[in-house]
Amino acid sequence: MKIDYKSKNIAGTLAKAFLNSPLTMVMIVSILALGFIALEVMPREEDPQIEVSGGTIMIAIPGSTPREINNVVIKPLERKIREIKGVEHVYSVAMNNVGIVNVQYFIGEERESSNLKLYDKVMQNMDGMPRGTMQPLVKPFDIDIDIPVVTVAFYPKGSQDMSSVELYKVIRDIQQDMNAIDNVAKTTLMGEKKPQFNVMIDLDKLSGYHISLGQIAKAIQAISTNAPDIDTPTGTGKIIVFGVKNAIENIKDLQNLIVAQYMGSPIYLRNIAKVEYGYDIQNFQEAYIAQRYEGQFFKGHEYEIHEKDTSKGIHEALPAFHSQDQQQITLTVSKLKGTNSVTIAEDVVKMLEKYEEEFAKHNVGFIVTRNYGERANEAVNELVFHLGVTIGIISLILIPFLGWRESLVVSIAVPMILASTLFIAFMTDQTINRITLFAFLLSIGLIVDDAIIVIENIHRRMHLKETQEQDFDVVICEATDEIGPSTNVATIAIILTMVPMAFVGGMMGQFMKPIPLNVPVALAVSLFVAYVFTPFLAKKLIKRAGSY
Amino acid sequence: MLESFIYNILQSKKKKRIVIGLVLFALMASIALIPAKLVLAKMLPGKSANTFTVYVDTATDSSVLQTKEVTTCVVNELKKEEGILNMEIFLGQGAPLDYAGLVKGSAFKQMQNQAEIVINLTDKHHRPEASFMMVHRLRPQVQKVCGWMVPGTTIKFIEMPSGPPTLATIVVNLFGENHGLTRYTAEKVAKIMKKTEGLADIEIMQDDFYTRYEVVPDKEKIMRSGLSVKQVNDILYMAFKGVIVATKNSRNQQDQIPIFVRLSEETRTIQGNSKNDLIWKLSTLKLMNPMGMMIPLKEIVEFKAIPSTPAIFRKDLRNMTTITAECDLVSQVYPLLETRDMMIEALREEFNVTKVPGMSTFMFDLNLEHKKTGEKLLLQFDGEMKVSLDTFRDLGGAFISALILMFLLIVVYYKSFALSGIVLAGSFLSIIGVLFGHMITDFVALYLTGVNFFLTATSLIGFISLMGISARSSLLLIDFSRSLISNGIEKKRAIAISVATRAKPIVMTTVAIILGSALLATDPIFGGLGIALIFGSLAATVVSLFFIPVLMDNVAALCPESVMDVQACAGGGIDHLDEGEIEEIAP
Repeated sequence: MKIDYKSKNIAGTLAKAFLNSPLTMVMIVSILALGFIALEVMPREEDPQIEVSGGTIMIAIPGSTPREINNVVIKPLERKIREIKGVEHVYSVAMNNVGIVNVQYFIGEERESSNLKLYDKVMQNMDGMPRGTMQPLVKPFDIDIDIPVVTVAFYPKGSQDMSSVELYKVIRDIQQDMNAIDNVAKTTLMGEKKPQFNVMIDLDKLSGYHISLGQIAKAIQAISTNAPDIDTPTGTGKIIVFGVKNAIENIKDLQNLIVAQYMGSPIYLRNIAKVEYGYDIQNFQEAYIAQRYEGQFFKGHEYEIHEKDTSKGIHEALPAFHSQDQQQITLTVSKLKGTNSVTIAEDVVKMLEKYEEEFAKHNVGFIVTRNYGERANEAVNELVFHLGVTIGIISLILIPFLGWRESLVVSIAVPMILASTLFIAFMTDQTINRITLFAFLLSIGLIVDDAIIVIENIHRRMHLKETQEQDFDVVICEATDEIGPSTNVATIAIILTMVPMAFVGGMMGQFMKPIPLNVPVALAVSLFVAYVFTPFLAKKLIKRAGSY
Repeated sequence: MLESFIYNILQSKKKKRIVIGLVLFALMASIALIPAKLVLAKMLPGKSANTFTVYVDTATDSSVLQTKEVTTCVVNELKKEEGILNMEIFLGQGAPLDYAGLVKGSAFKQMQNQAEIVINLTDKHHRPEASFMMVHRLRPQVQKVCGWMVPGTTIKFIEMPSGPPTLATIVVNLFGENHGLTRYTAEKVAKIMKKTEGLADIEIMQDDFYTRYEVVPDKEKIMRSGLSVKQVNDILYMAFKGVIVATKNSRNQQDQIPIFVRLSEETRTIQGNSKNDLIWKLSTLKLMNPMGMMIPLKEIVEFKAIPSTPAIFRKDLRNMTTITAECDLVSQVYPLLETRDMMIEALREEFNVTKVPGMSTFMFDLNLEHKKTGEKLLLQFDGEMKVSLDTFRDLGGAFISALILMFLLIVVYYKSFALSGIVLAGSFLSIIGVLFGHMITDFVALYLTGVNFFLTATSLIGFISLMGISARSSLLLIDFSRSLISNGIEKKRAIAISVATRAKPIVMTTVAIILGSALLATDPIFGGLGIALIFGSLAATVVSLFFIPVLMDNVAALCPESVMDVQACAGGGIDHLDEGEIEEIAP
């Protein structure tokens, strides 16, 4: 079917070309489907990722004062760091024994190369380091890996007598399994107590037996060497393998270690020290959890407050520590860049469920204390719902203005624009987050215009006297053609207003980036949809009053 | 009806002047709202979250036990709260990292005097109190009850940032080479900030002074006894801190099992913290020389009490001391200006205070010069304020470039500066709606929830996108009028007709935008954008229906070149052209 109309500009040309094409319908369906797939598959986040590059350099010189560190390490290093392009700030701290330099790149600097440049600069200047300096540690920031998406607190259930080392052993196995989950980057434990042999020497006995601390250390080292196996050829041309066993097998071996002779009789380690198999007592880092039992916290002991009365026995008025707050170990799980926190969090929770029996056996309870995946999912779902509601409201409000068929055209056109924008975002490696969806909510107000203007013009022209005799196809093409130029200019104007926003610097600029990235795309797509699909849908859906 | 109304306005010069006057008055009035503080500015408003964190820092020489006392107190105090689900306490370390912790140095916490408590709240949808209101209420309460237990304690309440995180809302960096002077001034500045209304959690980021003992080895005695300073070091370290002397591999565990040697708890503890207590304890410690003789440690060293050496903090190659503060519900702009005025007043006694000249995002900074010594300090405001200023500056730049780009585009399209000017004026005037909208919402929000509604960065984004929307209305009007004029309709009549015809789609898109933004307006962060769009597009509609036609009537360029009867088109509208010029244009 040929349309007897000569178009004046691109709008009319497009409308004419697609008005009767069988492909148009296929395209409508496939665009909507692609958008839906993108919505389901795209990685979800609560807030967009801010590309923060930087790192920390730690340099230790044992036995030096802050001033020394400042002069011999930090000042020269700071000058060197300044040579790197893209560094915004250098923060440093000179402390006793150690200097820390924090390097902060401009927001948006490429992370990998920034890290490399930092490491490179430190290594290049190793020769300038003062004597006595230990190997510098360069630790780049990595937001993805450093910020866990899920944290789980494990605590002993019921009886409090479960030792923290036992708890640690149970959790350690899960940690290994968690790390095996797809796209999990790093898992760490916090507040854990590791098993350790503790040799607690009694100072009084030490001087009584005339033994020095150094002697004890040497004695322990003497018998606990871990050596590789030795192999040697035999006469028959085979090899024979043998190895020296570590002399310390268990706590008994350590207790019965002879450290010295005193008046002819041997002195065992157990005579002068308490030797036990416990946890790392030198590690003061601890973690506790306070939680509700049957809806109630244990309130802690009542205690009186002596205002500013620091002179006398405040400590007596204090409650016993952590009366009911249990010691816990927190397992943190972080994800790889660009992966979906929602699925990872789900997998982690599934893994925990799988272990539930094992936990029950060991009397271990757990609480998921952070779940960014769930939060992201909630935020995204809520906003998608908002988008739907908004589209619904707009099409309802158009009914009294235009009629329900015209309004239906708009309510198909808007989701199509959003679907293709979402798909383009997916193709360009963006994630779906709150700001992306806000960009969509914002663009609804803008894109709906293009659809409305075309459909309104079709609607208006359709009822004009002059068009009564014309073919409906011609009316549609002419109506689209008529508003083409001004709609083009207006849409380009809006796109232009959005573009400079992409150049806003700093964290805020990065945070808002999905807006200048997606709104112009949505607008450009909306033009296309307005010229191609709106006329098509108008033809299919709108019944022309009267006959022609 | 609308057509005759517009035509009526266009007919009379006086009415046109009234319209222009009204618009200009509204513009002035709306801009005046900002200095009048009827519209308050802030980068991003608070957001109700399901969690917040408490940072506890005791004095630098506090033990983990003392830190624990404070955290226990805080936790017990918070247990009275209904809205709290559970609390995670991390002693001697930071909590699992989050966005706030990332910039606040949470990952570097490893001292005995540091602790963090993560407070998980019940779901925000079912909790009547927003998390920031909760923090506002609990902060003074907890600080009063637990702040005094260990001297030098600070308890800070950290809320989840609604946008990009910063070190603190208000950060004052005090740059200076003289440590003593910087320290003294920092304390003074902190005192002023504590007095400022709206500021909370003021902390000077520096180590406290405490007494430290130096063990000075007597070189001669050490050499003669065949010992070494290293040996003295090693033994002291092993005795009191402990050393892992060996490890044992384990078959059924993932870790090696270390063998750790230290003095027992009873013999390690020193009774008091005076020099004599320390000497008495060390007197029992003996070292063995290569000849197998036991030499008491006391014989080869001397003890000296010296003040501790606090850490030196530097930023961008200069020494500095940082003072941080959070804003309690209010925008940071107003307390900052207030505290700055107070600082200028208070520091004037000892310093020559001068403001940093010029307009930049560092424009609040102060140069201090000590009156007696002539030493110079720089007091710099950083933190969220700096980020806000940078963002507003950049968004302002984006806005101006948007204006220019749009202007050029329309010039290309119409080949007329005057018409472009009209479109631009129309776009810019939506600011009237944006500002009044914020004022109205602020009143409503204060009345309903008691929380201010701020003009934020998202409001500015809303304003920028509004420009495009109102430009579209103006463009459609101009286009339609031009095509009517080329069909031979008289100019004023053509404008009136086009307004009447275009009113429907313009109003329709406005309604669509308002409804589309209604849900946006309820969001804490994007509320500003929503409000800007709703009220801005209302204003833009009024402007494009009543003000733009007046401007259009005053511009000759509206008549397309193809129009044969320019004289008729121009009508009486072109006031500024005299007869001769009109004749020139006429064929």
